[in-house]
Amino acid sequence: MSAFERVTRRSLLRGGAVVLGSAMAAPLLSACGGGDQGGNPKELTFWNFYGPNPQSDAQSKWFIDLVAAWNAGNDVKIKLHYLPVSEYLAGRALQTAFSAGQGPDIFLLSPGDFLRYYNGGVLTDLAPHLKPDQIADFENGALDTRKVDGKIYGLPMEREPLAVFYSVDAFEQAKLSEGDLPKTWEQLLDVAGKLTSKDRFGMLFETIPGYYQNFTWYPFMWMAGGSAVPENGGPGFDSPAVHNALKLWQDSIAGKIAPRKPLGDGGTDTPANLGSGFAAMQQTGIWGVSQLAQSNKDFRYGVFPLPVPEGGTYTTSVGGWAFVANANGANPEAAATFIAWALGANDAEGIERGRQWNTVVKANLPARTSVLEAAKSAGAFDDPALKVFLEKVVPGSRGEPRYTPEVYKAVSDAIQAAQLGGADPAKAAADAAAKIGTFLKGYKGAAML
Amino acid sequence: MATVADPGTAVKRPPGAAPPVWNRRRREALAGYAFVAPDLLGLMMFVGLPMVLSLGVSLFSADGFGGYTYVGLANFRQMAEDTQLWQSVKVTLTYTVAFVPIGFVVSLGLALLVRDHFPGVGLVRTMFFLPHVISLVVVGIAWQFLLVDKQGAVATLLRPVGLGDTSFLGDPSLALGSLVAISIWFLMGYNMLILLGGLKDIPREYEEAAGIDGATAWQKFRHVIWPLLRPTSFFVLVNSVVGSVTGLQAFDLVYVLTQGGPAGSTSSVVFYIYQQAFTFNNYGYAAALTTVVVGFLVAATGTMFGLTKGGRFDAG
Repeated sequence: MSAFERVTRRSLLRGGAVVLGSAMAAPLLSACGGGDQGGNPKELTFWNFYGPNPQSDAQSKWFIDLVAAWNAGNDVKIKLHYLPVSEYLAGRALQTAFSAGQGPDIFLLSPGDFLRYYNGGVLTDLAPHLKPDQIADFENGALDTRKVDGKIYGLPMEREPLAVFYSVDAFEQAKLSEGDLPKTWEQLLDVAGKLTSKDRFGMLFETIPGYYQNFTWYPFMWMAGGSAVPENGGPGFDSPAVHNALKLWQDSIAGKIAPRKPLGDGGTDTPANLGSGFAAMQQTGIWGVSQLAQSNKDFRYGVFPLPVPEGGTYTTSVGGWAFVANANGANPEAAATFIAWALGANDAEGIERGRQWNTVVKANLPARTSVLEAAKSAGAFDDPALKVFLEKVVPGSRGEPRYTPEVYKAVSDAIQAAQLGGADPAKAAADAAAKIGTFLKGYKGAAML
Repeated sequence: MATVADPGTAVKRPPGAAPPVWNRRRREALAGYAFVAPDLLGLMMFVGLPMVLSLGVSLFSADGFGGYTYVGLANFRQMAEDTQLWQSVKVTLTYTVAFVPIGFVVSLGLALLVRDHFPGVGLVRTMFFLPHVISLVVVGIAWQFLLVDKQGAVATLLRPVGLGDTSFLGDPSLALGSLVAISIWFLMGYNMLILLGGLKDIPREYEEAAGIDGATAWQKFRHVIWPLLRPTSFFVLVNSVVGSVTGLQAFDLVYVLTQGGPAGSTSSVVFYIYQQAFTFNNYGYAAALTTVVVGFLVAATGTMFGLTKGGRFDAG
């Protein structure tokens, strides 16, 4: 009997099951085999959210030029892979790539997400590729959240502190002047109330849940004397300081002086909110300077440090992305060498590269002393807003903390519940503290800072 | 010489000879399988295989970096104590209970409205259907503009009645309702077309006969149209329930408009699963949750099919 004669529904289903089973076996086996990435050791992939992007802006060009300069003098080539910033920050491309064993050789990482990748064992120690003077060149604290046990797992390309941007026109319309810039939380709510009108909010805090919202709320927690995890024998998240910080944001919403839903990309988007007149004051980062320079050239604005609570100590949160190398990539050594060259080289070319990134194509504070000095010499901080960042905002600042996703989520839930859900701040903090406490009991990863 | 007539081929062959391999019945069967094969393979590869793999992964603790540890049913046991999961179940049920009946009534109303011919009926049908041809992400962005606090078109319209400060996407008591409304707006034209097809299949003579007997418009709908429309209604309702639970519309809207906020008020089960997988790298737990959701849907639709005799209701 020929094979075709045996084609029945039953046999077809049997055959289908065999095909399905075979197809299943391969991915299951590879999945259980652990994460090795394969790839081409002579051409490394570099995932980022700057370039080459469709707008071909100056930041994209900096990345393209950086890679071109490296490729011109090295056998191992780098290939850029661009992802839109929203996909990179909140999407699943990077995580999916790693879970499939296809993570990029080099990628950008923020302190907020550091522990996920460090604890996952995919970060390469860059210290062997850096000379002591190169390491010493990084500003005080700039490497702290990228280090574990003395090893360096990422080199920061920038420092991005948070402050409050304000609209000069809105202040003038409300008959307020520079002398009215709020210095305390109480003054902040008061001034925001005066700036609020039928089509404008006085103040804008981030309301979209996510890493960024936590990043912008932490300074208020710290200024009041609180912490997300127990620090120096402190009580951890359920403390009066945390309750007060949660209450500040809650009061701004309850008093209808801050929006429940910001415009554009939210709190990171200065032109869409401050520039459009939607808000008169906005808590955001130093990147707002270059955003406004590009989108709202004639917009009159100023910057002031975050207000401090009664009896509190000023601080702010300093973010900034780092280049990191995938330890399971095709050629981790070459990837680490590239990063050390790109962001650590302290020859004239390396310093100029850093200056260009931090103060020409983007507004940041440089993470390295040599670059900062070069930028100062070039007059980068003559800009009034950047001068405020350098002289008033950064002193006393603290690096963006690195917490695990579990701690981040507990804090995020508390912020959301108090800010937008109207929950009692003390209860929201207690709920989060319980979750954090349970998690910390079984946590075995790197220290949270 | 005796001959054996093969009904399929009608070809004469010698006695004792084996029947031909390629008779018509087998050729037709093979052709049938060949036609079905691409769809079957696609379903196996892109639906069946991921479902089976998901079931497998649900028995492991997966760290998202290639590390898998067998944990048995621990991921399933974890669900009982996961308060956020139950909160997201509540969100999904609220969404479903609001979206399915209201969406159905709106779609049926539109279908009845455009059932009869009138000048411009084609244009009206097209306008109702138009939202469905737009990407949900674009729909989300468009509504985000309309619902902007203070400055949006909706806030401007509501200002004269004192509701200009209403935040439709930022207030936990309104955000889910806003998503339901946008989902209905998006899907009403599609369901309208399906129901319109069902209405067109109902012979006009039945309604005319009822009219001669003195039936009112409501009585005609209640006793003639509604019973005959039940199979179509069943299809629309099952689709809507499955779409609601699996986040067919809601996931995209939540992702674009609220990210599960404000204060978790729009964090549906599917969004929660997404967060477990891609925020926490808890792929095993996410797979277990997916397995339970699929199991629930299979049981729910199976029950609905059983109770309604496969949507035919009165079939013997």
